Amino acid sequence: MIQPQTHLNVADNSGARELMCIRIIGASNRRYAHIGDVIIAVIKEAVPNMPLERSEVVRAVVVRTCKELKRDNGMIIRYDDNAAVVIDQERNPKGTRIFGAIARELRQLHFTKIVSLAPEVL
Amino acid sequence: MWSALRYRTFSSAVKQPPQPPWLGRSMHNRALYSSSLVSEEQPHNNNNSRSTTTSRRELLNLEEVEKILIDVKADNVQVIPVPKHYDFADYMIVATGRSDWHVRNIAQALIYKVKQKQKGAKRMLLPSVEGQEGGKWIVIDSGSLIIHALDEKVRAYYNLEKLWSSGTSNDEQTQDWDKAFMKIRPKNNSKRPPSRCLNNGV
Repeated sequence: MIQPQTHLNVADNSGARELMCIRIIGASNRRYAHIGDVIIAVIKEAVPNMPLERSEVVRAVVVRTCKELKRDNGMIIRYDDNAAVVIDQERNPKGTRIFGAIARELRQLHFTKIVSLAPEVL
Repeated sequence: MWSALRYRTFSSAVKQPPQPPWLGRSMHNRALYSSSLVSEEQPHNNNNSRSTTTSRRELLNLEEVEKILIDVKADNVQVIPVPKHYDFADYMIVATGRSDWHVRNIAQALIYKVKQKQKGAKRMLLPSVEGQEGGKWIVIDSGSLIIHALDEKVRAYYNLEKLWSSGTSNDEQTQDWDKAFMKIRPKNNSKRPPSRCLNNGV
């Protein structure tokens, strides 16, 4: 459950370290984003000497949430942190490597590029 | 040419005994089947493997993909078997196109092939395609095969081969851990446990 003002970790090597959600894309008055949703976020903290800087507005896709994700077969997946991957308008990831486990649902939501960069798919 | 190919596959399919329906299998079964399929394919000839895949309704076959990529003159084609513990795919195929047009054409050729294969079918199953508009990095996700068609610069930037070939990512991680321990060591020297650690290391 990601809503505006939620702080998220960054699960890639794009150069951002922490994001803050400011808008959820999808509907006009959408409340929460879940895994696989695209959000607009502000970079709150960035790694020095990288292309992305603090207070830049970027798009990101949510890849991990503390709120549990339920599957049809009864499996429940819950992560320890809220994390997102920085993407551009064409849904290409900005970073070249992705850290941590990624849910399989992203592939169904047409984020195969992110899934194929991820070290582990749950 | 296409009709001849189809005729050949049909005739071989008729010769084979009827097979149980493979259509309703789940994701976990698919990995098993495809691994067995690969082991079958190597001794048999081209014709036989194609008939098996048509009966299983695979969208694309490894050999077909390679042939198409050669036909459209994709550069530097690499087939990377995905390690066993990743069950989301069996093979990654990475190919380079010379321009945006060329990359898009590679994708189009593959989709065309899929459509040709299922021409008579009532419901056509198409692979999911991503990045069609951009033409920098197009991914065609046909179940057990994931085909990446990339621009030259984009390929160098993301470096998918290095990530997937021979588990280099794991090596990098272990190296990082080694470094981390090296940094921690002087801090822990003041206490008891590190001496044991050193002995273990030696």
